[in-house]
Amino acid sequence: MPPLLQIRNLKTWFPITSGVFSRTVGHVRAVDGVSFDIAPGETVGLVGESGCGKTTLGRTVLGLEPRKSGEILLGGIPLWPTRHQETLPLRRRVQMIFQDPYSSLNPRMTIQEIVTEGLLQQRLIRPRERGNAATRLLQEVGMEPSVLHRYPHEFSGGQRQRISIARAIAVRPELVICDEAVSALDVSVRAQVLNLLIDLRASHNLAYLFISHDLGVIRHIASRVVVMYLGVVVETGSSSEVLDSPAHPYSRALISAVPVPFSESRKRTILKGDAPSSSHPPSGCRFRSRCPLALPECAARVPVLEPITPGSARQVACIRKDEILDTSQHAKALLQGVFQ
Amino acid sequence: MNTLLDIRNLGITFDTDEGPLKAVDNVSFSIRQGEVVGLVGESGCGKSVTALGLLRLIPMPPGRLTSGEVFFEGRDLLRLPTDELRSIRGRRISVIFQEPMSALSPLHRVGAQLVETLQLHLPIDTRAAWMTSVDWLKRVGLPDPEAQMRAYPYQLSGGMLQRVMIAMALMLEPALIIADEPTTALDVTIQAQVLELLREMKSKDTSLLLITHDLGVVWELCDRIVVMYASRVIEEGPRRDLFEKPAHPYTRALLDSVLSLSGRADRLSTIEGQVPSPLAYPAGCRFAPRCPHAFARCHQEQPPLYTLSTDRHSACFLCDKHPIAQPS
Ligand SMILES: Nc1ncnc2c1ncn2[C@@H]1O[C@H](COP(=O)(O)OP(=O)(O)OP(=O)(O)O)[C@@H](O)[C@H]1O
Ligand SMILES: Nc1ncnc2c1ncn2[C@@H]1O[C@H](COP(=O)(O)OP(=O)(O)O)[C@@H](O)[C@H]1O
Ligand code: SF4
Ligand code: SF4
Ligand SMILES: [Mg+2]
Ligand SMILES: [Mg+2]
Repeated sequence: MPPLLQIRNLKTWFPITSGVFSRTVGHVRAVDGVSFDIAPGETVGLVGESGCGKTTLGRTVLGLEPRKSGEILLGGIPLWPTRHQETLPLRRRVQMIFQDPYSSLNPRMTIQEIVTEGLLQQRLIRPRERGNAATRLLQEVGMEPSVLHRYPHEFSGGQRQRISIARAIAVRPELVICDEAVSALDVSVRAQVLNLLIDLRASHNLAYLFISHDLGVIRHIASRVVVMYLGVVVETGSSSEVLDSPAHPYSRALISAVPVPFSESRKRTILKGDAPSSSHPPSGCRFRSRCPLALPECAARVPVLEPITPGSARQVACIRKDEILDTSQHAKALLQGVFQ
Repeated sequence: MNTLLDIRNLGITFDTDEGPLKAVDNVSFSIRQGEVVGLVGESGCGKSVTALGLLRLIPMPPGRLTSGEVFFEGRDLLRLPTDELRSIRGRRISVIFQEPMSALSPLHRVGAQLVETLQLHLPIDTRAAWMTSVDWLKRVGLPDPEAQMRAYPYQLSGGMLQRVMIAMALMLEPALIIADEPTTALDVTIQAQVLELLREMKSKDTSLLLITHDLGVVWELCDRIVVMYASRVIEEGPRRDLFEKPAHPYTRALLDSVLSLSGRADRLSTIEGQVPSPLAYPAGCRFAPRCPHAFARCHQEQPPLYTLSTDRHSACFLCDKHPIAQPS
């Protein structure tokens, strides 16, 4: 199947300004050359440390942040050409759900107004059809239609997230970007909302770009994972491959750091220090300042994101990936020392 | 092992515009010397108010102590003169909050704040206090501790600040550390560093009350676990026992909804409904509206905490054949 979304060498930089004349003194390279695809109906999980550029990537796809360079194609057509008018119907096809169920809903609008706003804007319904459309949408997300005329503050976090979901699916999108959509919810409610997203994915053939710091959630909902570090993709592959046997040293450290109940105490890579700033990423491999496997060459050249074997969907950006993936005794000994 | 902290029937209510809000209701549990106790539960169930309340850090009003005693090394913290309480807080008991910024002054350099804390509690000159501080920053794994001493808090990242807070909490070598969601605001890789530190501390006979909603963190660090739901303790027990044989239906459901990194089910098991509002708790068992096992009695009476075995308690009528727990 041809990809639904294609992201090609995307860069989003934010200027750092200083002084009274707001002179630009540098750039935060929030997203710095990212490429990946999402197939129709596919769920791709996007993971990585705080500040690595996940939200910025999602917002750039939606046109909420200006892109420095690169391409975003939806069904093969550029999503953000210079003349916005033409792409209005295209933009309907991508929607977003945000982390904070408190600030993302307009407190002055009723639930009915919130969930049908997009439908009216896109002229998909007439004003007098509002009530019916809203009733149907609320039923789809498991809420009573009796709440139509109430305001967001009267609802719990989980219910507000259901309302955000209703608003997002109203215009029949093909891709929904979920940015930490369940992170603010308590475990018991989080499971309910995840189940809803899974059901809607099947009934509406939705693709998700699912941003989450919770790898358990990612494992559950995403079939493929993209791991980012300081604005670049360091590894991608099926969720089971990447989460069970991560190849990139950063993915290994990230995954081993997650505390898992019921597991016996596991071997763990504890990274030294914090992530460097994305305005001054290290030369060569950006992970080298914290990488337990770093070699002098890692400073000299930027590792390319490449398939681990020709044609493989599993891609890793590390000059030592072959050694890491090598199952021979020599390679095992190499890893044993660093990954305890 | 000796009991270090003993909380008995703690009750704290807030007087709000919408009426009295029972944030902590009849909470009892204890912490022994050298023990790590995890206090878990969903947001709003009363974990932080319990921890702050036992140290008398809840503003009153709007808060109000409705019942209870908190014995620490034999003295009731809730009734101690303020100056004595203040010397215990800091010297014998230290606190690590979720937001490190809230505990550090933004106007003073990190070093000055560490030195001041030491000098407040110990007879130590500035030079020695400076050296001790640098040493502790090194021990909590802060790179370049001398430079960090001269930095202002806003110049450090969240993970670095949290390590400063931990150094500050550890350096007076308290008997008890209360850590309220110490890693919730941190990235997992940084969380792993902090957990490692707390684990080291555990080997030094310091007790820890660890408040968190992350069951993975609890599993890794705690000896014993206290589960709260809707302002009350609903279950208590040693870590492995509680995780493997949860007695209360809420604990069971909570453990079922944990997502593992490996298994992948098509649908998650969920707890239907929502946590009740503390302004309108149901009359009987507070879990009854969501409990798959609820029967008539559950809607009329509040279940007491039953003792299943030493250290093992559950507040559910399904455990009715057991004796009722008395605060020790
Ligand atoms: N509007 C902006 N102006 C300047 N810098 C920005 C802006 N938005 C984001 N950044 C910077 O871009 C980088 C990436 O931020 P982003 O919000 O995309 O991270 P993230 O991966 O979503 O992190 P988190 O997990 O904390 O949500 C960070 O260094 C951030 O400080
Ligand atoms: N200062 C306050 N005034 C009124 N209500 C409060 C105050 N602090 C906490 N509460 C309420 O007390 C209950 C328990 O809160 P808390 O202990 O902070 O929960 P958690 O278990 O998430 O730490 C919640 O319903 C909360 O809204
Ligand atoms: S390229 Fe070098 S520094 Fe980067 S991850 Fe691989 S081994 Fe580590
Ligand atoms: S007392 Fe009744 S309602 Fe409460 S947890 Fe036990 S069975 Fe369920
Ligand atoms: Mg983000
Ligand atoms: Mg709290």
